[in-house]
Amino acid sequence: MSRHVSKIGDPSPLKRLDEPQISKKIRLEIEVDENMSDNSPDRNRRANFSNVNGVNRNLNIHSVKPTTKKLIIKNFKSEPKLPDDYNETTWKKLSSAVIAIQQSKPNEYLLEELYQAVGNMCSHKMASELYKNLFELIDAHVRSNIEKFKTETMDRLLFLKKMNDTWQSHCNQMIMIRGIFLCLDRTYVLQNPNISSIWDMGLDLFRKYFMLHTLVQTRVVEGLLMLIEQERQGDKVDRILLKSLLRMLTDLQIYNKAFEQKFLQSTERLYAAEGQRLMQELEVPEFLAHVDKRIHEENERVLHYLDSSTKYQLIHTVEKQLLSEHINNILQKGLDNLLEENRLHDLSLLYQLFSRVKNGLQELCHAFNAFIKKQGRTIVIDPEKDKTMVQELLDFKDAMDNIVASCFKKNEMFSNSLKEAFEHFINQRTNKPAELIAKFVDSKLRAGNKEATEEELERLLDKIMVLFRFIHGKDVFEAFYKKDLAKRLLVGKSASVDAEKSMLSKLKQECGGGFTSKLEGMFKDMELSKDINVAFKQHLNINTPELMPLDMTVNILTMGYWPTYLPMDVTLPAQMVKFQDIFKEFYLSKHNGRKLQWQPTLGHCVLKARFKAGQKELVVSLFQTLVILLFNESDEHGFEYIKAATNIEDGELRRTLQSLACGKARVLNKIPKGREIEDNDKFKFNNDFVNKLFRIKINQIQMKETTEEQKATEERVFQDRQYQIDAAIVRIMKMRKTLSHNLLISELLGQLKFPVKPSDLKKRIESLIDRDYMERDKDNSNQYNYVA
Amino acid sequence: MSASIADENENTERLDDASKNEKMFTLKKWNAVAMWSWDVECDTCAICRVQVMDACLRCQAESKKDSYGKQDCVVVWGECNHSFHYCCMSLWVKQNNRCPLCQQEWSIQRMGK
Repeated sequence: MSRHVSKIGDPSPLKRLDEPQISKKIRLEIEVDENMSDNSPDRNRRANFSNVNGVNRNLNIHSVKPTTKKLIIKNFKSEPKLPDDYNETTWKKLSSAVIAIQQSKPNEYLLEELYQAVGNMCSHKMASELYKNLFELIDAHVRSNIEKFKTETMDRLLFLKKMNDTWQSHCNQMIMIRGIFLCLDRTYVLQNPNISSIWDMGLDLFRKYFMLHTLVQTRVVEGLLMLIEQERQGDKVDRILLKSLLRMLTDLQIYNKAFEQKFLQSTERLYAAEGQRLMQELEVPEFLAHVDKRIHEENERVLHYLDSSTKYQLIHTVEKQLLSEHINNILQKGLDNLLEENRLHDLSLLYQLFSRVKNGLQELCHAFNAFIKKQGRTIVIDPEKDKTMVQELLDFKDAMDNIVASCFKKNEMFSNSLKEAFEHFINQRTNKPAELIAKFVDSKLRAGNKEATEEELERLLDKIMVLFRFIHGKDVFEAFYKKDLAKRLLVGKSASVDAEKSMLSKLKQECGGGFTSKLEGMFKDMELSKDINVAFKQHLNINTPELMPLDMTVNILTMGYWPTYLPMDVTLPAQMVKFQDIFKEFYLSKHNGRKLQWQPTLGHCVLKARFKAGQKELVVSLFQTLVILLFNESDEHGFEYIKAATNIEDGELRRTLQSLACGKARVLNKIPKGREIEDNDKFKFNNDFVNKLFRIKINQIQMKETTEEQKATEERVFQDRQYQIDAAIVRIMKMRKTLSHNLLISELLGQLKFPVKPSDLKKRIESLIDRDYMERDKDNSNQYNYVA
Repeated sequence: MSASIADENENTERLDDASKNEKMFTLKKWNAVAMWSWDVECDTCAICRVQVMDACLRCQAESKKDSYGKQDCVVVWGECNHSFHYCCMSLWVKQNNRCPLCQQEWSIQRMGK
């Protein structure tokens, strides 16, 4: 066994004659078996190399045995010869067998015999002739096979089927033939690198004639394209036929040239038209769903019958025609609606599809950004909607966050863009959003608000902080927040100290200690006031026990921490003045070097009142108290008298009287009746007052005040900003020593955290020049010098 | 002024009258509010140019705060009745023991508390 295997590579075919026949038979069987078992075209291609493998395998066995017995082989005395006509007779045998195979007829010779004959011819230097003969035989067969198709005028599908049959039988025949001519493949073909193996020769010939007859070729290709087109239109087609024919093209190595290009072109044409049409006809979500379906289908197509090398180009073509071309259209036509209606599913699809095409996500992000800016602007800009602005902003932010998280895969580009857009639109309207956010926080922190649990409130505050972060004019927020905080603290209306503290710490985290130090100071004042009041009570009990019982508490505020209130002098009843004086004396004795200024606008009282219907307690402001107490002396007073007696500022007094005589709880009756307070009006004690509550709070009327307050607050913010601008200018000039006007302005704009107009900056620069902090350069009026 | 005193006298009389046939309104509870500030002539410290109600520049920069963020930066009055931040003045007197405003010998009249 090992011996003749080693001779396969032997260049001398003569020496083979002395091999015993039996061993040859064994070898034939083994190898025929091996090759017959694989008859799929796929495997046949590989079979070209199986002889190489065979050698390797057998060589392994060969290296096994060392023998002790010496075996000597001698040459024959006379060289053996073949019969002279051996070549012709053998070829006759072989060719008849090949023709039988080609015509699918039974073969009259044993395969074994044929194989051996081929082997013999190869050993006797007849291989090249044999190969040539075989070549001609196959060439003739393939030519006649393909030429048959030239004249065919049958239905395309039938044509394709027939072509497929021809191809299949060609493959089968070539497998058989190769089996017989295996020796040829293994010796002659292997030794001559420029000759192709029998299988390849078959393919080459098939290709040659297939290409030669362009009509046949185009019919096949067009037939294929037609089938695919039919399938794209939703018909069922014979996928196996498609697959087999496309395999044929691949095997003939003309898939690329003959089919792929045309296929891609027709794909492009189809989808270009479809894209244009559907873009017009369908709504965006439906269009997207359709595109998704198409991409899915094409992927299937690749999976089922196209060559996988086409996949990239095919999908790319579909994406290009259905998506890239329409990016702007889709975004313009559909994105806003999808976002507005919060259609998460469609948005996810949109994102997923756009992420497939070049620049798709950038464009989407861009449009997303523009939508937020546009939508946000409508929320912010309209003064009519001020009441609901903050809630709407919160909802809007939630919705957009949700979309980024669930549809846009938390893509950072999108979340950054979201932030940028919010920051942009929220500052489109100066000051107002900041003010409204502050007021919104106030409404949530105020005691009346019981709708939220602590955790909910905490979450809400966190969300508000996110909005707050976007706002440029943080000082406006601070001013309004401070004003509201003052009210909450002084009226004792704060819902929870914890929530207040938590909000404060959030602000501190966001803007630093400088921002909140005054707010913190306000809390500190409230606590110090508590201690002082305890001490004051003890003081009263010890020193003036004879004084009438009045529960007096005083909140002592540090000037500068709190908003400034208009100082107002009013006339208090003697009894109250006395208490005030005692307290003042007490306080100043504890705190050296201070002065106290009473703030009557902020005071409030509880009054016991007796009506015909019974006792009541009235919770009222100090001003209301002063007016009501006047009615202890007489049941009726004129406006002028009340004004003189209390010394309350005119507008304030009118509002106070309105609250007492025209509000819900009318302790006084106005004569004549009416909403507005006139100079000649009289007021009478309403003894018939009834109310189902025992403790009644009479609210001050504040409507007009808030607009004034608001203006004052804004004014104060502006004042504060001037100092900040001054400080920034001096800081910059101190560092640079000299600087041109433009550079100074641009550096200022970089440093200042609130929006400013260059004209305001100019004024501040002038003012600083006046105050000798800096000067204009003598030679260049556009240049400033720092003055130390 | 005198008129208002007269008013109040009248008030108390009336109150007494009312207590006989029971007053219609009596004050039970009073929550007053007052604002304190340093009792100074000039509200800016001439040394650091910061309002005396705020902490002086140095303290602001160092942020020496207690738990509430209130800076412990009190005011001091000299015999000349000029006032400054205590921190500012204590640095000043190391160089020159005179009031920076009137050049009088500096001696502390009182301290803020």
